[in-house]
Amino acid sequence: MSMTHQILAHTASQISALAAFAQTGAAEPTPPTFWMPVGASTISQGVDHTLDVINWICYVFFALVVVLMVWFVVKYRHRTGDKFRTDYPTHNTPLEITWSVIPTIIVIGIFVVGFRSYLDIYTAPKNAFDIKVTAQKWAWSFQYPNGAVSDDLYIPAGRPVRLVLRSSDVLHSLYIPDFRVKRDIVPGRYTYAWFQCDFPTGQPGKTPRDPNAKVVSGPEDDAQAHTLFCTEYCGTGHSKMNRYVYVLDEASFGQWMTDQSQWMDKIPEEELYFKAGPKIFARCQQCHSLDGTVGIGPSWKGIIERVKAYPIVGDGKEYGTWEDYIRTSILVPGKYVVPTYGNVMPSFKGQLNDKAIDAVLGYMQQLEKFDTKTGKLKAEFDPATGMKK
Amino acid sequence: MTTIQLPSPGALPDTIEGRPASDNYLTHTRGILSWIFTLDHKRIGVMYMWSVLGAFLLGGTFALLLRTELLTPGPTITDSADTYNQWFTLHGAIMVFLVIIPSIPAALGNIILPIMLGAKDVAFPRLNLFSYYLWVTGAVLCVVSLAMGGFDTGWTFYTPYSTTTTAGGVIPVLTAAFVLGFSSIFTGLNFIVTVHKLRPPGMTWFRMPLFLWAIYATAIIQVLATPVLGITLLLLIVERTVNIGIFNPSMGGDPVLYQHFFWFYSHPAVYIMILPAMGIISEIIAINSHRAIFGYRLIAFSSIAIAFFSFIVWGHHMFTSGQSALMNTLFSAISFSVAIPSAVKVFNWIATLYKGSVSLTTPMWYALSFLFLFTIGGLTGLHLATLSTDVHLHDTYFVVAHFHYVMMGSALIGMIGGLHHWWPKIFGRMYDERLGTIACWIIFIGFNVTFFTQFMLGSQGMPRRYYDYQPEFQVYHVISTIGSYIMAVGFTLTAISLFGSFFNGKKAPANPWGGRSLEWQCASPPPFDNFAKAPRVGDCYDFSVVHWDPKLGGYRVDESNDPEVNPAAQGTKAAH
Ligand code: HEM
Ligand SMILES: [Cu+2]
Repeated sequence: MSMTHQILAHTASQISALAAFAQTGAAEPTPPTFWMPVGASTISQGVDHTLDVINWICYVFFALVVVLMVWFVVKYRHRTGDKFRTDYPTHNTPLEITWSVIPTIIVIGIFVVGFRSYLDIYTAPKNAFDIKVTAQKWAWSFQYPNGAVSDDLYIPAGRPVRLVLRSSDVLHSLYIPDFRVKRDIVPGRYTYAWFQCDFPTGQPGKTPRDPNAKVVSGPEDDAQAHTLFCTEYCGTGHSKMNRYVYVLDEASFGQWMTDQSQWMDKIPEEELYFKAGPKIFARCQQCHSLDGTVGIGPSWKGIIERVKAYPIVGDGKEYGTWEDYIRTSILVPGKYVVPTYGNVMPSFKGQLNDKAIDAVLGYMQQLEKFDTKTGKLKAEFDPATGMKK
Repeated sequence: MTTIQLPSPGALPDTIEGRPASDNYLTHTRGILSWIFTLDHKRIGVMYMWSVLGAFLLGGTFALLLRTELLTPGPTITDSADTYNQWFTLHGAIMVFLVIIPSIPAALGNIILPIMLGAKDVAFPRLNLFSYYLWVTGAVLCVVSLAMGGFDTGWTFYTPYSTTTTAGGVIPVLTAAFVLGFSSIFTGLNFIVTVHKLRPPGMTWFRMPLFLWAIYATAIIQVLATPVLGITLLLLIVERTVNIGIFNPSMGGDPVLYQHFFWFYSHPAVYIMILPAMGIISEIIAINSHRAIFGYRLIAFSSIAIAFFSFIVWGHHMFTSGQSALMNTLFSAISFSVAIPSAVKVFNWIATLYKGSVSLTTPMWYALSFLFLFTIGGLTGLHLATLSTDVHLHDTYFVVAHFHYVMMGSALIGMIGGLHHWWPKIFGRMYDERLGTIACWIIFIGFNVTFFTQFMLGSQGMPRRYYDYQPEFQVYHVISTIGSYIMAVGFTLTAISLFGSFFNGKKAPANPWGGRSLEWQCASPPPFDNFAKAPRVGDCYDFSVVHWDPKLGGYRVDESNDPEVNPAAQGTKAAH
């Protein structure tokens, strides 16, 4: 029975360790272990300790089972023709009661530990900073209180953040392993996830990550960023539906939000197509190509000519201009669906304003200036003026 | 080596009970029609067995494709995520609905259950044949679905994805699962009635072999839970065709409701998969330890306890779905209660080895693998039943690893073990023991290499159902894929050893392992009517009357010393 005592003693010490941690909080993210990735949120230590408690119970039980199994098999090995032993017990009520009761006590212990750390995960503090999250096939959009919108998630360090999650099509699930949070996103409902991370990661580099890369690679100049995944199967782009989480200190976060909400405002109308266009295209690239490759949606190569040829586009028709048609396609994609393609494009209403749509229209008109792989301005053009160097 | 002196029975007899020994259920009638329209439970079971093994081959092929694709991030053997999504969906649906659920009850159960009961057949032989053809219909519908564009919904068919995806084969596959559900219900119904009505005189409930208890507990779940799946799938079909909106949020429906329906069936369904395997393990361990199973009643009761609890834990699949904190807490607490009877069974099996006489036959190696793998599978259930850790682990590879340990490492390994255990009985041939044991080891090693890695993969944060992944996960994926190739080698060797028995296998004795339950008392293969005269029911775990007979190359049961048979004799039974 000393084994049991050990387990119980270990469990008790783990529980008190857990309680101690909940109060203090750590000075830096916990480094990755054999089982867990970096732990960077305020709840991650509670979760990891719960996992440790369970792991140790598992190791002990597993060792017990395997050692006894091997021992008995070796000790009582029988060879064909030998006499069978007959001195075996067929049951032993006290023993059987013991080994039913001990696991019962242990699982009650695990339940209690798990439940306590779960309460922390479940209830968001009152002063949490709200970020609205829209998940759609196969992109994330994060909307901040001041109207800023981003594709990667930016959060302030040292402050509880509450995500208000909604889906515009099927089920998705938001998962940030380093924060130990996960929440399903159900169409027709709002769900919440909350976490607090105390450790700034810094900002990503100037070059936006290429979401269409064959290999999902890290942010170019900051390996500390945390990854955010979709963990509820949602179709073709499910495994590409992952972005980064950047944690900024309070001051730079405020600055970032302001810049982000205004980033297009400062760009003059005629420079929109090459200064804003590529950034916006990065959100379309999942489905649309620039080089004529058929994707989930039609390629943008030659799109203007194609649209102009549609019977519903032209003077006095339903859409007076091709711009009209494209604008509608962005805001109400289901209105006309190009034959052979599915009605799968999400609406960008509320995410792309008129200026952004102007940038897209301009971009489409000058496609030859952009690299078909990256969507960025080709090297021979000056990034400041958009003209040939 | 001590040999017990027995009245010499001579070599294998030419006649059994006055019939030629070559007359058995395989040879009694001939021709393809005699199989297609057979009402013999053994033949139906054999047809099930080949069909299920065929489906296993197909499902396994998809598994290898999946693992190969995951060797590198980005495209490896297909550059289409859609193709990958179809593969994992097919793999899951085939393995769950066509392989694991029917494998033990419908294939092995059908062959063995009536013989174990000393009965001539199941209670409703026609229903039995009908349920086999329902299985075939389900399998054909799966193929039809493939021809109509396949399906990419995952085996869980979550809405609204499943009601909106453009893949063309969704309705046929839903129909297939529906039909397969009925096949399962009818099998369960048949077994419940058979166990209640056809037990021979003398076989009280607590004299039933534990395999029968397990099949009985399973049958109850099949009959009670599967109709819910049927209704759910019908609703899904209606939703997809005429859009009634019950699961559609834009029409006031609720996708989470679907998840409740689905898991209300599918959690009990995981016990439809594991309980029969546990029954097989009880048989194999007792027989190969040549001693009474330890704590018979506790094992029998824990089967029923598991069946009961399995109905009230479904919510543990939905901890992150937005279910209320109270519900989550309740479901978490109840889920742990399933772990207790599972642990108890493991302890009883281990205790059965104690002071036994352990023969390391191929089936026994499978049973020991089962103990090892089920312990891991069951213990990792604890990580998932715990609220805070499940939030991190849900829908990652950790869950994938967990359920492969229990569904493949336990249910399927149990089934393969049972196949080896009863193979001599079913076909009257011994397979190559050495090859069988080696294959078991290779599968065991390959399995752990494949799936243990996935625990780390998952807890490190790799989501499941991903075609593409971050490069830092590649090491794990490569190891896992290598493991799957090792397993493929193991299964190939298993097939060689089993099929080889048809060509160069020794003729099997009636009782090659020293079993005491009734199926070991009829010839191998059994005659078409199982027993010419009703066998006497003894204590199926009393091995003191079982003796090795070198002339038979097997064991014989000699009850002349048993006071129950011969009151004048001095009991040599072990003291109970
Ligand atoms: C020892 C008791 C067990 C416990 C406490 C347990 C607990 C759990 C929990 C909580 C989950 C949900 C995890 C998640 O999705 O986040 C789960 C998943 C699963 N378990 Fe178990 N489990 C146990 C044994 C078994 C057995 C014996 C089987 C089958 C033979 C099984 C099959 C499965 C399957 C198939 C899934 C995942 C299904 C899916 O999402 O596709 N489990 N288990
Ligand atoms: Cu479950």
